[in-house]
Amino acid sequence: MIARDRNWLLIFAVCVALAVVYPFVAGGYQLTVIRDALIFGLFAASLDFFWGRTGILCFGHAAFFGIGGYIMALVTLNDAIPFASLLGIMGAVAGAAFVAAIIGYFLFFGGIRGSYFTIVTLAMGVICQQAAVSWSSVTGGDSGLIGIPPIAFDVGGLHVDLSQDLSSYILVAATVAVTVLALWSVSRGRWGTVLTAIQDNEVRAAALGHNAPLRLLVTFVLSAAIAGLAGALYVCMAGLVAPDLSGLLLSTEVIVWVAVGGRGTLLGPVLGAIFIQRAQQTISSFNPSLWPLLLGCVFVIIVFVLPDGILSIYARLKSLFKGRRRAQ
Amino acid sequence: MSDVLLQAENVGIRFGGLQALEALNLTVRDKELCCIIGPNGAGKSTFLNVLTGTLRPTSGSVRFLGHDIAGLPLHRIARLGIARKFQIPSVFPSLSVEDNLKVARWGAPSPVRPVGELLELVALTNRAATLAGELAHGQKQWLEIGMALAIEPRLLLLDEPTAGMTPQETLATAQMLLRLKGEFSIVAVEHDIRFVRALNCETLVLHQGRRLRSGPFHDIETDEMVRDVYLGRR
Repeated sequence: MIARDRNWLLIFAVCVALAVVYPFVAGGYQLTVIRDALIFGLFAASLDFFWGRTGILCFGHAAFFGIGGYIMALVTLNDAIPFASLLGIMGAVAGAAFVAAIIGYFLFFGGIRGSYFTIVTLAMGVICQQAAVSWSSVTGGDSGLIGIPPIAFDVGGLHVDLSQDLSSYILVAATVAVTVLALWSVSRGRWGTVLTAIQDNEVRAAALGHNAPLRLLVTFVLSAAIAGLAGALYVCMAGLVAPDLSGLLLSTEVIVWVAVGGRGTLLGPVLGAIFIQRAQQTISSFNPSLWPLLLGCVFVIIVFVLPDGILSIYARLKSLFKGRRRAQ
Repeated sequence: MSDVLLQAENVGIRFGGLQALEALNLTVRDKELCCIIGPNGAGKSTFLNVLTGTLRPTSGSVRFLGHDIAGLPLHRIARLGIARKFQIPSVFPSLSVEDNLKVARWGAPSPVRPVGELLELVALTNRAATLAGELAHGQKQWLEIGMALAIEPRLLLLDEPTAGMTPQETLATAQMLLRLKGEFSIVAVEHDIRFVRALNCETLVLHQGRRLRSGPFHDIETDEMVRDVYLGRR
Protein backbone atom coordinates (compact mmCIF):
# COMPACT_ATOMS: atom_id res chain seq x y z
CA MET A 1 0.00 0.00 0.00
CA ILE A 2 1.30 3.44 -0.88
CA ALA A 3 2.05 5.84 1.99
CA ARG A 4 -0.54 8.29 0.67
CA ASP A 5 -3.32 5.72 0.87
CA ARG A 6 -2.23 4.69 4.36
CA ASN A 7 -2.32 8.29 5.56
CA TRP A 8 -5.77 8.78 4.10
CA LEU A 9 -7.13 5.66 5.82
CA LEU A 10 -5.51 6.77 9.07
CA ILE A 11 -7.18 10.19 8.96
CA PHE A 12 -10.44 8.52 7.96
CA ALA A 13 -10.23 6.16 10.95
CA VAL A 14 -9.54 9.08 13.30
CA CYS A 15 -12.57 10.95 11.94
CA VAL A 16 -14.81 7.90 12.34
CA ALA A 17 -13.57 7.43 15.90
CA LEU A 18 -14.32 11.08 16.69
CA ALA A 19 -17.79 10.71 15.18
CA VAL A 20 -18.42 7.63 17.37
CA VAL A 21 -17.21 9.34 20.56
CA TYR A 22 -19.00 12.63 19.92
CA PRO A 23 -22.52 11.61 21.06
CA PHE A 24 -21.10 10.65 24.47
CA VAL A 25 -19.73 14.12 25.11
CA ALA A 26 -22.18 16.35 23.25
CA GLY A 27 -25.71 17.37 24.06
CA GLY A 28 -28.74 16.95 21.81
CA TYR A 29 -28.53 20.38 20.24
CA GLN A 30 -24.81 20.06 19.47
CA LEU A 31 -25.52 16.69 17.87
CA THR A 32 -28.07 18.19 15.51
CA VAL A 33 -25.66 20.98 14.59
CA ILE A 34 -22.90 18.55 13.65
CA ARG A 35 -25.45 16.30 11.93
CA ASP A 36 -26.58 19.10 9.63
CA ALA A 37 -22.97 20.05 9.00
CA LEU A 38 -22.22 16.44 8.07
CA ILE A 39 -25.04 16.46 5.51
CA PHE A 40 -23.44 19.46 3.86
CA GLY A 41 -20.15 17.58 4.18
CA LEU A 42 -21.66 14.75 2.13
CA PHE A 43 -22.77 17.34 -0.41
CA ALA A 44 -19.21 18.75 -0.52
CA ALA A 45 -17.78 15.24 -1.00
CA SER A 46 -20.13 14.70 -3.94
CA LEU A 47 -18.85 17.84 -5.66
CA ASP A 48 -15.26 16.86 -4.89
CA PHE A 49 -15.76 13.45 -6.46
CA PHE A 50 -16.45 15.19 -9.76
CA TRP A 51 -14.37 18.37 -9.50
CA GLY A 52 -11.38 16.75 -7.79
CA ARG A 53 -11.14 13.87 -10.22
CA THR A 54 -11.96 15.54 -13.52
CA GLY A 55 -10.72 19.07 -12.88
CA ILE A 56 -14.03 20.35 -14.28
CA LEU A 57 -15.86 22.72 -11.95
CA CYS A 58 -19.62 22.45 -11.63
CA PHE A 59 -20.94 25.82 -10.43
CA GLY A 60 -24.52 24.67 -10.03
CA HIS A 61 -24.19 21.65 -7.82
CA ALA A 62 -26.83 22.99 -5.44
CA ALA A 63 -29.35 22.31 -8.22
CA PHE A 64 -28.95 18.57 -7.56
CA PHE A 65 -29.11 19.12 -3.81
CA GLY A 66 -32.32 21.09 -4.30
CA ILE A 67 -33.85 18.60 -6.73
CA GLY A 68 -33.19 15.83 -4.20
CA GLY A 69 -34.70 17.94 -1.44
CA TYR A 70 -37.87 18.85 -3.35
CA ILE A 71 -38.50 15.28 -4.53
CA MET A 72 -38.07 13.99 -0.97
CA ALA A 73 -40.45 16.67 0.33
CA LEU A 74 -43.12 16.02 -2.30
CA VAL A 75 -43.01 12.24 -1.79
CA THR A 76 -43.08 12.28 2.01
CA LEU A 77 -45.77 14.99 2.20
CA ASN A 78 -48.08 12.89 0.04
CA ASP A 79 -50.06 10.61 2.34
CA ALA A 80 -51.07 8.29 -0.51
CA ILE A 81 -47.52 7.04 -1.06
CA PRO A 82 -46.46 4.00 1.02
CA PHE A 83 -42.89 3.61 2.30
CA ALA A 84 -42.57 7.34 1.74
CA SER A 85 -39.13 7.77 3.33
CA LEU A 86 -37.45 5.01 1.34
CA LEU A 87 -39.22 5.86 -1.92
CA GLY A 88 -38.47 9.53 -1.33
CA ILE A 89 -34.75 8.91 -0.96
CA MET A 90 -34.69 6.67 -4.03
CA GLY A 91 -36.66 9.25 -5.98
CA ALA A 92 -34.35 12.05 -4.85
CA VAL A 93 -31.25 10.13 -5.93
CA ALA A 94 -32.80 9.05 -9.23
CA GLY A 95 -34.21 12.51 -9.98
CA ALA A 96 -30.88 14.29 -9.45
CA ALA A 97 -29.10 11.61 -11.48
CA PHE A 98 -31.62 11.91 -14.29
CA VAL A 99 -31.27 15.68 -14.62
CA ALA A 100 -27.46 15.35 -14.50
CA ALA A 101 -27.58 12.65 -17.17
CA ILE A 102 -29.57 14.82 -19.57
CA ILE A 103 -27.53 17.99 -19.05
CA GLY A 104 -24.25 16.07 -18.88
CA TYR A 105 -24.98 14.13 -22.06
CA PHE A 106 -25.26 17.25 -24.16
CA LEU A 107 -22.30 18.96 -22.49
CA PHE A 108 -19.80 16.10 -22.46
CA PHE A 109 -20.63 14.60 -25.84
CA GLY A 110 -20.85 18.12 -27.28
CA GLY A 111 -17.25 18.70 -26.25
CA ILE A 112 -18.04 21.37 -23.61
CA ARG A 113 -15.26 21.48 -21.02
CA GLY A 114 -13.47 23.84 -18.68
CA SER A 115 -14.91 27.30 -18.03
CA TYR A 116 -17.73 26.79 -20.52
CA PHE A 117 -18.95 23.83 -18.50
CA THR A 118 -18.76 25.96 -15.35
CA ILE A 119 -20.82 28.73 -16.96
CA VAL A 120 -23.50 26.38 -18.27
CA THR A 121 -23.87 24.69 -14.87
CA LEU A 122 -24.03 28.11 -13.22
CA ALA A 123 -26.99 28.91 -15.44
CA MET A 124 -28.52 25.53 -14.66
CA GLY A 125 -28.43 26.33 -10.93
CA VAL A 126 -30.09 29.69 -11.49
CA ILE A 127 -32.80 28.06 -13.63
CA CYS A 128 -33.49 25.47 -10.94
CA GLN A 129 -33.86 28.12 -8.28
CA GLN A 130 -36.17 30.14 -10.53
CA ALA A 131 -38.25 27.07 -11.24
CA ALA A 132 -38.57 26.41 -7.51
CA VAL A 133 -39.75 29.99 -6.93
CA SER A 134 -42.14 30.22 -9.90
CA TRP A 135 -43.78 26.80 -9.90
CA SER A 136 -45.52 27.62 -6.67
CA SER A 137 -48.44 25.20 -7.03
CA VAL A 138 -45.98 22.33 -6.58
CA THR A 139 -42.98 23.81 -4.83
CA GLY A 140 -44.69 26.28 -2.56
CA GLY A 141 -42.92 29.20 -4.24
CA ASP A 142 -40.70 31.48 -2.22
CA SER A 143 -41.72 30.09 1.14
CA GLY A 144 -41.12 26.48 0.12
CA LEU A 145 -42.70 23.46 1.76
CA ILE A 146 -42.87 22.88 5.48
CA GLY A 147 -43.79 20.02 7.79
CA ILE A 148 -41.67 17.36 6.11
CA PRO A 149 -41.73 14.32 8.39
CA PRO A 150 -38.53 12.74 9.70
CA ILE A 151 -37.29 9.52 8.14
CA ALA A 152 -39.30 6.52 9.35
CA PHE A 153 -39.81 3.06 7.90
CA ASP A 154 -40.64 -0.51 8.83
CA VAL A 155 -38.12 -3.28 8.31
CA GLY A 156 -39.59 -6.77 8.85
CA GLY A 157 -42.03 -5.71 11.54
CA LEU A 158 -39.47 -3.45 13.21
CA HIS A 159 -40.41 0.20 13.19
CA VAL A 160 -37.44 2.45 12.63
CA ASP A 161 -38.02 6.07 13.56
CA LEU A 162 -35.19 8.49 12.98
CA SER A 163 -36.79 11.57 14.46
CA GLN A 164 -34.59 11.53 17.57
CA ASP A 165 -31.38 13.55 17.71
CA LEU A 166 -29.15 10.54 18.33
CA SER A 167 -30.73 8.19 15.81
CA SER A 168 -30.71 10.79 13.05
CA TYR A 169 -27.09 11.65 13.88
CA ILE A 170 -26.10 7.99 13.60
CA LEU A 171 -27.90 7.61 10.26
CA VAL A 172 -26.22 10.69 8.79
CA ALA A 173 -22.74 9.91 10.17
CA ALA A 174 -22.91 6.33 8.92
CA THR A 175 -24.14 7.43 5.48
CA VAL A 176 -21.34 9.98 5.17
CA ALA A 177 -18.67 7.50 6.30
CA VAL A 178 -19.82 4.74 3.95
CA THR A 179 -20.24 7.09 0.97
CA VAL A 180 -16.88 8.80 1.43
CA LEU A 181 -15.12 5.45 1.79
CA ALA A 182 -16.87 4.12 -1.32
CA LEU A 183 -16.05 7.23 -3.37
CA TRP A 184 -12.45 7.04 -2.22
CA SER A 185 -12.01 3.43 -3.26
CA VAL A 186 -13.55 4.20 -6.65
CA SER A 187 -11.36 7.23 -7.21
CA ARG A 188 -8.05 5.65 -6.26
CA GLY A 189 -8.63 2.56 -8.39
CA ARG A 190 -8.84 2.11 -12.11
CA TRP A 191 -11.76 4.49 -12.55
CA GLY A 192 -9.96 7.38 -10.86
CA THR A 193 -6.65 6.73 -12.63
CA VAL A 194 -8.33 6.90 -16.03
CA LEU A 195 -10.14 10.09 -14.96
CA THR A 196 -6.80 11.63 -14.03
CA ALA A 197 -5.48 10.63 -17.43
CA ILE A 198 -8.50 12.26 -19.10
CA GLN A 199 -7.92 15.39 -17.04
CA ASP A 200 -4.28 15.45 -18.18
CA ASN A 201 -4.99 14.89 -21.84
CA GLU A 202 -8.40 13.85 -23.03
CA VAL A 203 -7.49 13.37 -26.70
CA ARG A 204 -4.62 11.08 -25.76
CA ALA A 205 -6.85 9.01 -23.48
CA ALA A 206 -9.37 8.65 -26.29
CA ALA A 207 -6.62 7.61 -28.71
CA LEU A 208 -5.83 4.79 -26.28
CA GLY A 209 -9.37 3.48 -26.55
CA HIS A 210 -11.06 5.19 -23.61
CA ASN A 211 -14.54 6.62 -24.10
CA ALA A 212 -13.77 9.86 -22.29
CA PRO A 213 -17.17 11.63 -22.61
CA LEU A 214 -19.00 8.57 -21.28
CA ARG A 215 -16.65 8.25 -18.33
CA LEU A 216 -17.03 11.94 -17.46
CA LEU A 217 -20.80 11.64 -17.78
CA VAL A 218 -21.02 8.64 -15.45
CA THR A 219 -18.85 10.43 -12.89
CA PHE A 220 -21.03 13.53 -13.11
CA VAL A 221 -24.24 11.51 -12.72
CA LEU A 222 -22.84 9.67 -9.70
CA SER A 223 -21.77 12.96 -8.15
CA ALA A 224 -25.24 14.47 -8.73
CA ALA A 225 -26.95 11.37 -7.28
CA ILE A 226 -25.02 11.77 -4.03
CA ALA A 227 -25.81 15.49 -3.96
CA GLY A 228 -29.48 14.49 -4.34
CA LEU A 229 -29.13 12.06 -1.44
CA ALA A 230 -27.65 14.82 0.72
CA GLY A 231 -30.54 17.11 -0.22
CA ALA A 232 -33.09 14.45 0.69
CA LEU A 233 -31.46 13.83 4.07
CA TYR A 234 -31.28 17.54 4.76
CA VAL A 235 -34.95 18.35 4.20
CA CYS A 236 -36.03 15.47 6.48
CA MET A 237 -33.82 16.77 9.26
CA ALA A 238 -34.71 20.41 8.77
CA GLY A 239 -38.39 19.69 8.16
CA LEU A 240 -38.61 22.23 5.36
CA VAL A 241 -37.44 22.86 1.80
CA ALA A 242 -36.96 26.25 0.18
CA PRO A 243 -35.65 27.61 -3.15
CA ASP A 244 -32.37 28.64 -1.44
CA LEU A 245 -31.39 24.97 -1.31
CA SER A 246 -30.84 24.98 -5.06
CA GLY A 247 -29.49 28.51 -5.19
CA LEU A 248 -26.33 30.19 -6.28
CA LEU A 249 -25.19 30.96 -2.73
CA LEU A 250 -25.17 27.29 -1.73
CA SER A 251 -23.41 26.39 -4.99
CA THR A 252 -20.71 28.91 -4.12
CA GLU A 253 -20.44 27.79 -0.52
CA VAL A 254 -19.95 24.15 -1.47
CA ILE A 255 -17.10 25.17 -3.77
CA VAL A 256 -15.48 27.03 -0.87
CA TRP A 257 -15.87 23.99 1.42
CA VAL A 258 -14.16 21.79 -1.15
CA ALA A 259 -11.43 24.34 -1.82
CA VAL A 260 -10.75 24.84 1.89
CA GLY A 261 -10.81 21.14 2.70
CA GLY A 262 -8.62 20.20 -0.24
CA ARG A 263 -9.83 19.29 -3.70
CA GLY A 264 -9.45 15.63 -4.59
CA THR A 265 -9.19 14.37 -1.00
CA LEU A 266 -12.92 13.61 -0.44
CA LEU A 267 -12.42 13.66 3.33
CA GLY A 268 -11.07 17.22 3.34
CA PRO A 269 -14.27 18.73 1.88
CA VAL A 270 -16.35 17.05 4.63
CA LEU A 271 -14.08 18.59 7.26
CA GLY A 272 -14.08 21.89 5.36
CA ALA A 273 -17.88 21.98 5.41
CA ILE A 274 -18.04 21.31 9.17
CA PHE A 275 -15.26 23.76 9.95
CA ILE A 276 -16.61 26.62 7.84
CA GLN A 277 -20.19 26.25 9.02
CA ARG A 278 -18.94 26.30 12.60
CA ALA A 279 -16.99 29.48 11.84
CA GLN A 280 -20.01 30.96 10.09
CA GLN A 281 -22.22 30.47 13.16
CA THR A 282 -19.64 31.98 15.49
CA ILE A 283 -18.90 34.97 13.31
CA SER A 284 -22.51 35.66 12.37
CA SER A 285 -23.35 35.87 16.07
CA PHE A 286 -21.15 38.98 16.28
CA ASN A 287 -22.37 40.58 13.12
CA PRO A 288 -24.33 38.83 10.35
CA SER A 289 -22.93 41.01 7.57
CA LEU A 290 -19.34 40.15 8.46
CA TRP A 291 -19.60 36.57 7.21
CA PRO A 292 -19.78 36.99 3.41
CA LEU A 293 -16.80 39.35 3.60
CA LEU A 294 -14.72 36.91 5.60
CA LEU A 295 -15.78 33.97 3.44
CA GLY A 296 -14.47 35.76 0.37
CA CYS A 297 -11.17 36.60 2.07
CA VAL A 298 -10.71 33.03 3.30
CA PHE A 299 -11.33 31.75 -0.21
CA VAL A 300 -8.72 34.07 -1.73
CA ILE A 301 -6.17 33.18 0.96
CA ILE A 302 -6.74 29.45 0.47
CA VAL A 303 -6.31 29.74 -3.28
CA PHE A 304 -3.03 31.61 -2.93
CA VAL A 305 -1.47 30.11 0.20
CA LEU A 306 -2.91 26.61 0.53
CA PRO A 307 -4.18 25.57 -2.90
CA ASP A 308 -4.42 21.95 -1.74
CA GLY A 309 -6.58 22.77 1.27
CA ILE A 310 -6.17 22.56 5.06
CA LEU A 311 -5.22 18.89 5.03
CA SER A 312 -2.08 19.85 3.12
CA ILE A 313 -0.68 21.84 6.07
CA TYR A 314 0.80 18.65 7.50
CA ALA A 315 2.44 17.65 4.21
CA ARG A 316 3.75 21.19 3.80
CA LEU A 317 5.26 21.30 7.29
CA LYS A 318 6.85 17.91 6.71
CA SER A 319 8.49 18.98 3.47
CA LEU A 320 9.56 22.23 5.15
CA PHE A 321 11.31 20.37 7.97
CA LYS A 322 12.84 17.91 5.51
CA GLY A 323 14.20 20.85 3.56
CA ARG A 324 15.63 22.38 6.78
CA ARG A 325 17.30 19.16 7.75
CA ARG A 326 18.84 18.77 4.35
CA ALA A 327 20.06 22.37 4.49
CA GLN A 328 21.82 21.89 7.82
CA MET B 1 -4.81 -8.97 -51.20
CA SER B 2 -5.94 -10.34 -47.83
CA ASP B 3 -2.85 -9.12 -46.00
CA VAL B 4 -3.58 -5.46 -46.80
CA LEU B 5 -4.15 -3.66 -43.53
CA LEU B 6 -4.49 -0.05 -44.46
CA GLN B 7 -5.30 1.29 -47.85
CA ALA B 8 -5.38 4.96 -48.74
CA GLU B 9 -6.65 5.59 -52.25
CA ASN B 10 -6.36 8.82 -54.15
CA VAL B 11 -6.49 10.86 -50.94
CA GLY B 12 -6.78 14.61 -51.28
CA ILE B 13 -7.61 17.29 -48.77
CA ARG B 14 -8.33 20.99 -49.14
CA PHE B 15 -8.19 23.57 -46.39
CA GLY B 16 -10.08 26.47 -47.91
CA GLY B 17 -8.00 27.49 -50.93
CA LEU B 18 -5.02 25.34 -49.99
CA GLN B 19 -4.66 21.90 -51.53
CA ALA B 20 -2.79 20.30 -48.61
CA LEU B 21 -2.73 16.78 -50.04
CA GLU B 22 -3.34 15.59 -53.56
CA ALA B 23 -3.86 12.12 -55.07
CA LEU B 24 -1.91 10.16 -52.46
CA ASN B 25 -1.92 6.38 -52.38
CA LEU B 26 -0.50 4.20 -49.67
CA THR B 27 -0.91 0.51 -49.01
CA VAL B 28 0.33 -0.91 -45.73
CA ARG B 29 0.48 -4.69 -45.55
CA ASP B 30 0.30 -6.71 -42.38
CA LYS B 31 3.54 -6.53 -40.32
CA GLU B 32 5.14 -4.12 -42.79
CA LEU B 33 7.31 -1.17 -41.79
CA CYS B 34 7.24 1.98 -43.86
CA CYS B 35 8.26 5.60 -43.57
CA ILE B 36 6.82 8.83 -44.85
CA ILE B 37 9.39 11.57 -45.25
CA GLY B 38 9.46 15.04 -46.68
CA PRO B 39 10.57 18.55 -45.86
CA ASN B 40 8.62 20.78 -43.45
CA GLY B 41 5.16 21.60 -44.71
CA ALA B 42 5.09 18.69 -47.14
CA GLY B 43 1.86 17.41 -45.59
CA LYS B 44 3.29 14.51 -43.59
CA SER B 45 1.33 15.15 -40.40
CA THR B 46 -1.81 15.98 -42.34
CA PHE B 47 -1.51 12.68 -44.20
CA LEU B 48 -1.03 10.86 -40.90
CA ASN B 49 -4.14 12.58 -39.50
CA VAL B 50 -6.07 11.31 -42.50
CA LEU B 51 -4.68 7.79 -42.02
CA THR B 52 -5.84 7.75 -38.39
CA GLY B 53 -9.28 9.00 -39.28
CA THR B 54 -8.93 12.29 -37.37
CA LEU B 55 -9.17 14.28 -40.59
CA ARG B 56 -11.72 13.39 -43.24
CA PRO B 57 -10.23 13.62 -46.72
CA THR B 58 -12.09 15.83 -49.20
CA SER B 59 -11.50 13.20 -51.88
CA GLY B 60 -10.48 9.57 -51.90
CA SER B 61 -10.83 7.07 -49.08
CA VAL B 62 -8.95 5.40 -46.25
CA ARG B 63 -9.86 1.85 -45.37
CA PHE B 64 -8.55 -0.16 -42.45
CA LEU B 65 -9.26 -3.89 -42.79
CA GLY B 66 -11.95 -2.93 -45.25
CA HIS B 67 -13.72 -0.42 -42.95
CA ASP B 68 -13.95 3.24 -43.85
CA ILE B 69 -12.52 4.94 -40.75
CA ALA B 70 -12.95 8.61 -41.65
CA GLY B 71 -14.80 10.51 -38.92
CA LEU B 72 -15.09 7.64 -36.41
CA PRO B 73 -14.68 8.69 -32.76
CA LEU B 74 -11.08 8.40 -31.54
CA HIS B 75 -11.67 5.60 -29.05
CA ARG B 76 -13.40 3.47 -31.71
CA ILE B 77 -10.43 3.86 -34.05
CA ALA B 78 -8.12 2.83 -31.21
CA ARG B 79 -10.18 -0.26 -30.55
CA LEU B 80 -9.98 -1.30 -34.20
CA GLY B 81 -6.25 -1.71 -33.56
CA ILE B 82 -4.72 1.58 -34.65
CA ALA B 83 -2.30 3.09 -32.17
CA ARG B 84 -0.84 6.51 -32.60
CA LYS B 85 2.13 8.31 -31.14
CA PHE B 86 1.66 12.04 -31.31
CA GLN B 87 4.31 14.47 -32.48
CA ILE B 88 4.43 16.37 -29.19
CA PRO B 89 5.01 13.81 -26.45
CA SER B 90 1.61 13.50 -24.85
CA VAL B 91 1.95 11.28 -21.84
CA PHE B 92 -0.15 11.84 -18.70
CA PRO B 93 2.15 14.03 -16.56
CA SER B 94 0.35 13.59 -13.23
CA LEU B 95 0.43 9.80 -13.41
CA SER B 96 3.44 7.57 -12.79
CA VAL B 97 5.12 5.83 -15.72
CA GLU B 98 3.53 2.58 -14.60
CA ASP B 99 0.05 4.12 -14.36
CA ASN B 100 0.48 5.63 -17.83
CA LEU B 101 1.02 2.15 -19.22
CA LYS B 102 -1.86 0.77 -17.15
CA VAL B 103 -4.25 3.40 -18.51
CA ALA B 104 -3.12 2.43 -22.00
CA ARG B 105 -3.71 -1.28 -21.33
CA TRP B 106 -7.15 -0.65 -19.86
CA GLY B 107 -8.20 1.05 -23.07
CA ALA B 108 -7.32 -1.99 -25.15
CA PRO B 109 -9.98 -4.57 -26.06
CA SER B 110 -7.61 -7.46 -25.22
CA PRO B 111 -4.24 -6.43 -23.77
CA VAL B 112 -1.56 -9.12 -23.91
CA ARG B 113 1.75 -7.71 -22.75
CA PRO B 114 2.03 -7.21 -19.00
CA VAL B 115 3.14 -3.79 -17.77
CA GLY B 116 6.55 -5.18 -16.74
CA GLU B 117 7.30 -6.31 -20.26
CA LEU B 118 6.23 -2.96 -21.70
CA LEU B 119 8.53 -1.16 -19.26
CA GLU B 120 11.38 -3.35 -20.41
CA LEU B 121 10.65 -2.83 -24.11
CA VAL B 122 10.91 0.94 -23.78
CA ALA B 123 13.82 0.83 -21.31
CA LEU B 124 11.95 2.47 -18.42
CA THR B 125 11.88 -0.36 -15.86
CA ASN B 126 13.83 1.58 -13.24
CA ARG B 127 11.63 4.64 -13.67
CA ALA B 128 8.26 2.91 -13.19
CA ALA B 129 7.27 4.96 -10.14
CA THR B 130 8.43 8.32 -11.56
CA LEU B 131 5.76 10.82 -12.54
CA ALA B 132 5.68 10.92 -16.32
CA GLY B 133 5.85 14.71 -16.22
CA GLU B 134 9.33 14.46 -14.69
CA LEU B 135 10.84 12.27 -17.41
CA ALA B 136 13.45 13.54 -19.83
CA HIS B 137 12.15 14.38 -23.28
CA GLY B 138 13.49 11.25 -24.96
CA GLN B 139 12.09 9.03 -22.23
CA LYS B 140 8.67 10.61 -22.66
CA GLN B 141 8.80 9.69 -26.33
CA TRP B 142 9.65 6.12 -25.42
CA LEU B 143 6.91 5.96 -22.81
CA GLU B 144 4.51 7.06 -25.51
CA ILE B 145 5.69 4.28 -27.78
CA GLY B 146 5.18 1.90 -24.84
CA MET B 147 1.62 3.19 -24.40
CA ALA B 148 0.94 2.68 -28.08
CA LEU B 149 2.24 -0.90 -27.77
CA ALA B 150 0.05 -1.56 -24.75
CA ILE B 151 -3.13 -1.48 -26.79
CA GLU B 152 -1.73 -4.38 -28.90
CA PRO B 153 -2.16 -2.55 -32.19
CA ARG B 154 -2.39 -4.05 -35.65
CA LEU B 155 -0.97 -0.79 -36.91
CA LEU B 156 1.27 1.70 -35.14
CA LEU B 157 1.45 5.22 -36.53
CA LEU B 158 4.34 7.33 -35.31
CA ASP B 159 4.41 11.07 -35.85
CA GLU B 160 8.05 12.19 -35.73
CA PRO B 161 9.04 9.70 -33.02
CA THR B 162 12.55 11.13 -32.74
CA ALA B 163 11.71 14.86 -32.64
CA GLY B 164 14.02 16.55 -30.16
CA MET B 165 16.08 13.42 -29.49
CA THR B 166 19.85 13.21 -29.33
CA PRO B 167 21.52 11.15 -32.13
CA GLN B 168 22.07 8.26 -29.68
CA GLU B 169 18.42 8.29 -28.60
CA THR B 170 17.36 8.42 -32.26
CA LEU B 171 19.35 5.28 -33.05
CA ALA B 172 18.06 3.53 -29.91
CA THR B 173 14.52 4.35 -31.04
CA ALA B 174 15.19 2.94 -34.50
CA GLN B 175 16.51 -0.26 -32.94
CA MET B 176 13.43 -0.43 -30.69
CA LEU B 177 11.21 -0.29 -33.77
CA LEU B 178 13.28 -2.83 -35.69
CA ARG B 179 12.85 -5.24 -32.77
CA LEU B 180 9.08 -4.74 -32.95
CA LYS B 181 8.97 -5.13 -36.73
CA GLY B 182 7.21 -8.36 -37.63
CA GLU B 183 4.73 -8.09 -34.76
CA PHE B 184 2.54 -5.46 -36.37
CA SER B 185 2.66 -2.83 -39.10
CA ILE B 186 4.43 0.43 -38.42
CA VAL B 187 4.14 3.71 -40.32
CA ALA B 188 6.58 6.38 -39.21
CA VAL B 189 6.52 10.00 -40.31
CA GLU B 190 9.96 11.53 -39.98
CA HIS B 191 12.22 14.14 -41.32
CA ASP B 192 15.35 12.90 -39.57
CA ILE B 193 17.09 11.11 -42.42
CA ARG B 194 19.48 9.21 -40.10
CA PHE B 195 16.51 7.55 -38.44
CA VAL B 196 14.96 6.50 -41.74
CA ARG B 197 18.33 5.22 -42.91
CA ALA B 198 18.60 3.09 -39.77
CA LEU B 199 15.15 1.63 -40.44
CA ASN B 200 15.94 1.07 -44.12
CA CYS B 201 12.39 0.31 -45.25
CA GLU B 202 9.80 1.20 -47.88
CA THR B 203 9.66 4.98 -48.02
CA LEU B 204 7.21 7.48 -49.40
CA VAL B 205 8.57 10.96 -50.08
CA LEU B 206 6.07 13.81 -49.96
CA HIS B 207 6.63 17.24 -51.37
CA GLN B 208 4.01 19.99 -51.34
CA GLY B 209 1.26 17.52 -50.60
CA ARG B 210 2.10 15.15 -53.46
CA ARG B 211 3.99 11.94 -53.89
CA LEU B 212 7.48 12.76 -55.05
CA ARG B 213 8.98 9.26 -54.97
CA SER B 214 8.31 5.95 -53.30
CA GLY B 215 10.34 2.79 -52.97
CA PRO B 216 13.01 1.14 -50.83
CA PHE B 217 15.09 3.65 -48.88
CA HIS B 218 18.39 3.04 -50.65
CA ASP B 219 16.77 3.92 -53.98
CA ILE B 220 15.24 7.03 -52.47
CA GLU B 221 18.48 8.12 -50.89
CA THR B 222 20.34 8.11 -54.17
CA ASP B 223 17.54 9.85 -56.05
CA GLU B 224 18.67 13.18 -57.46
CA MET B 225 15.22 14.79 -57.20
CA VAL B 226 14.80 13.86 -53.51
CA ARG B 227 18.21 15.31 -52.74
CA ASP B 228 17.25 18.53 -54.47
CA VAL B 229 14.05 18.86 -52.47
CA TYR B 230 15.74 18.11 -49.18
CA LEU B 231 18.52 20.58 -49.86
CA GLY B 232 15.98 23.17 -50.85
CA ARG B 233 17.05 23.54 -54.48
CA ARG B 234 13.48 23.23 -55.70
